[in-house]
Parts: sequence; C-alpha cells; structure tokens
Amino acid sequence: MQIYLPIAELPVSILTILAMGAAVGFLSGMFGIGGGFLMTPLLIFLGIPPAVAVGTQTTQVVASSVTGALAHFTRGSIDFKMGGVLLAGGIAGSLSGIYLFKLLTAIGQIDLAISVVYVAFLSVIGAMMMIESVQAIRAARGGRVTPKRKHHSWIHGLPFKARFRRSKLYISVIPPVLVGYFVGTLSAIMGVGGGFIMIPAMIYLLRMPTNVVIGTSFFQIVFVAALTGVLHSVENQAVDIVLGFLLVIGGVIGAQYGVRAAEKMPAEQLRALLAAILLLIGMRLGYDLVSTPPDVYSVIEAEPLP
Amino acid sequence: MMRRAVALIVAGLVFALPARADQLVTDLSEHQIAIRSNFTGTEILLFGAVEAARPGSRALNRDIVVVVQGPSRPMTVRRKEQMAAVWVNHDSVTYPNVPGYYAIASTRPLEVMATPETMKALRIGIENISPGTPAAHAIDGTPQILPPDDERTFWKALIRNMRRDGLYFSVPGGVTFLGQTLFRATVEIPANVPVGLYTAKVYLLQDGEVIDTISSPLYIDKRGVERFIFRMAHTDPLLYGMIAVLLAAFAGWLASAVMARR
Repeated sequence: MQIYLPIAELPVSILTILAMGAAVGFLSGMFGIGGGFLMTPLLIFLGIPPAVAVGTQTTQVVASSVTGALAHFTRGSIDFKMGGVLLAGGIAGSLSGIYLFKLLTAIGQIDLAISVVYVAFLSVIGAMMMIESVQAIRAARGGRVTPKRKHHSWIHGLPFKARFRRSKLYISVIPPVLVGYFVGTLSAIMGVGGGFIMIPAMIYLLRMPTNVVIGTSFFQIVFVAALTGVLHSVENQAVDIVLGFLLVIGGVIGAQYGVRAAEKMPAEQLRALLAAILLLIGMRLGYDLVSTPPDVYSVIEAEPLP
Repeated sequence: MMRRAVALIVAGLVFALPARADQLVTDLSEHQIAIRSNFTGTEILLFGAVEAARPGSRALNRDIVVVVQGPSRPMTVRRKEQMAAVWVNHDSVTYPNVPGYYAIASTRPLEVMATPETMKALRIGIENISPGTPAAHAIDGTPQILPPDDERTFWKALIRNMRRDGLYFSVPGGVTFLGQTLFRATVEIPANVPVGLYTAKVYLLQDGEVIDTISSPLYIDKRGVERFIFRMAHTDPLLYGMIAVLLAAFAGWLASAVMARR
C-alpha cells in the first residue's frame, strides 16, 4: 500500500516505512540507542530528500527519547542539574547547527556534509566500540581483567565549577556545555539524538557515574530534538508529519521486541554487533562518496532568483 | 463509461462547429488532478477532432502533436567533481524558467513530421524548451561565465535527469487517429509531478506546417489532508513544527505508559 508524503512529495510504501521503523526500533531497543544515525541513512537510501530525512527524523528521536527519559525518571536515574547544563549547550548547538544546515543547503553541499559527518562518526565510533568489545570478549574468555584507565584531571583545572549532587561531581560547567553544544550541532545536521556521542563523552570525559548517564542523556535529548524539529520546520519546511508518524509507530513496536531480545544476549557480543552495523553503514556511505556517481550532474529546484 | 462520454462530447463538438479552415477541437478527460494520500500517478486522456475545411477531402500528411507542460520554475544543475577522492558539487548553472514536467506525444516521430527548424521556431520538443538566460556559479557561489559548449552540457544533463525521473518524455506514435477526424492521446502523469497550472497544447500540422493550435488548462494540486499539511507547513511552520514534536512526544509517552502497564 502506497501513501503520498505531503512534504517529501513522493509516494512510499507504508509497509516499507513501518518495517524500517520497526527494524531500527528493534535495534534501538536492543542497544539502548536512539537509532537516528541508522534511520537517516536508510531514509536517504530510500530516496527521501536528505533535508526531509534529517528534519523528520527529529520527531522519531523525540518519541524514543521521551520513552527513555520517562523510564529513567521513574528510576530516579536522571541528573537534572547536569542535564540542564548540557541542555544549555545543546540549545546553542542546535541553533548553530540549523544555521549551518541552511548555509550548506544554499551552497549545495548539504548532502555531502551529511554523508561526510556520518562516515566520520560511524567509522570512528564503530571502530572504537569494536575494539573495546573484542577486548572485553577476549578478557572474559581468558579470565583476565582489563586494566582500569588513569584519570586525566585537566578538566578539574577549569573555572566556573559547580556541584552536581546526583552525579557526585564537582567540576567546571565548561566541558558539559561544550559537549552539549557539539552534540546539539550534530543533532541538527544529522537528525540524530546524539546519544552515541553524548554517552561516551559523559563517561570518559565528564566521569559521570554510569547509572545516571543514559537517563540524563535522554532527558536533554528530548528538549534538543524537540527544538531541532521545530527549527527544521520553521527554517527548512523539512518535517514530514506523515512520514514521522509512520516511523514512530514502527519504532515504538520494534523497540519493545528489541528490549526483550537484548535480555537474552551477552552485552559484549551485543556491542560488537552494533559496532559491525555502524561500520557497515559507514562504509556504504563512504563508498558512495568516493565512487564515481552514475551521473555527475544533479538537478534541484532553485530558490527564486533575487 | 468514460469512452462513451468522450464519444458523446466529441460528437457534440464536431457537429456544433461550422466548417471553415481545418480546425482542431479538443478536450481533456480531466481538468483537475487531485494529489491525495493515495496518489501514485495517473494518466490523462486527451481527445479531439480535426474539422476539415472541405468535408470529405482525404487529409494526407496530417499530424497531431500534443504537448503537456508543467509550471516553470528556476532549477539549478550542479556538476560534481572529484576533490581529494570525494565527489563534491562544483560548478552550477541556474535556469530561471524550467518546466517541471514536459510530455510530448505525436502521431509520428517529430523529425519526419517537420523540419527541425520549424520545431525549433515553434518550440515544440524537449530539445527546444527555452529555459531563459542561464546563470553559472563556481563552487564558492561567485558568478562565472562558462563556454557555450560547457553550458550546453549542463542543459543536456538537466534534460537527462528529468527524463530519468519520468518528468520529461516523448511518445512518438502516442497520438492515434480513430478514423479520419477523431484522435486521442494518453499522457502519463507520474507520482512525482510538481503541483501547479499545466497546459495541454495541441498542434495540427499539415505537410510540415502548423495550421492550427489549441490549448487547454490542467490543474494539478494537493487535496484533502495532503493539502492541509503542506499548506500548514508553509504558512504556519512554527505551529506545524510544534504539533509534529508534541505528537511525537505524546507517542513516546503512550509507549512508556503501555509498557508500564504490562
């Protein structure tokens, strides 16, 4: 069954979109991730204009992060103060990301920028995860304990220190604001929540306790993604409510099964699998960047000439 | 059902008009196409009759060309070049008046019907679309002047892309005569057509010269929910964005409420 998307201006198969939403939702439930970085490339492969893919994807991120944040709220595993500081950076980042998106669209490099950013992040994070999970699997088999890393304390020398009770931290607000800003910018350009960057940054850079990391990340992603979605609507008219609705439905259903499936698999193998998926998508996008395109010319509707 | 209605209308048209010079009488099966949520493309039927100046005379070398053209808007063609192994959009050319859709059907291939010069003068055919004065830009957005040959490759690329998307096409033999005077043509409207005012223009050619033309309007527009959503996204984007985000947040809350109940 086909449905015509009012903003993307093309018909798509409802079942395909629901299945994609469910598949990504399954993975996101399984790995506890937002899934935006999987969905946006898939939508682009499907022929949805990149701007619409990114803009619409923000609604899916809002939906899944609300679910996640609520679950962590009931468990009390959200550091609201840290979340607020990250959010302050995130709002600024989202604003500048939208501006950058508009600028890149105007000069015709947005598709390239989205692909390059994706390739860079998918391969770097995929490789890091792969190395770490393989080491963990080996360590588990060999019975060795991986040595704990040393604390780098340059962060403690920064000014504007604040106490984050829930995270049991007394650190400068500059690193969390910068992390929030960086992730907010990426979120606007890539249509992702940014949890896959935010969470490692919180653990390794800010040294937050792991039990509050995911909840706090979800908490600030809700608001950054909501802002990004509204901004994408206002600045680029790129949010397709029909497409978003289908993705959310598929995602919600898929996530339920993903969570259950994850309970049956060991964490290290799970992470190795996610790393493999990230690397594969990254390689595919990277291949598209360097392989000779079938037609080096492309046509796009131009802004009316001044 | 439709065929009978068409026949009736054509018969009415044929008998209503007094015979002077050879004249065209045409109509479209639809003057409005609504894009709704189930739109996956359609086709329109154009039918008509040639009113002969001297009834009974056998018309030789008589040809019909049907051109359906969509709304014009500025289009930019970009050329990728490999920079440090990566293909990057480099030079671009913007044409101010490019029809978003151009379908041409004819009784015979255009080149056997009339000379290329005639077709060019009449601007019939995909190759003879006049897109206005092109403006070329370099990668950094500064205006530049391309050699005519190079500029031509951009225009050819535009046509190639539009053909690939099914928005430009020609159907030689797509117009069929049903007997001496009646003719019909079906024109494909793909799902990715731009919305706006279209014109269906019919040319009557005799011995390679156009002796009559007639054009009828055709509206393609979004309707129903599609129209509502599209208009809201463009006229009230702030409200639209907030609704989209709130709906998504609501769905997320609903999901967690359902999970909590289990």
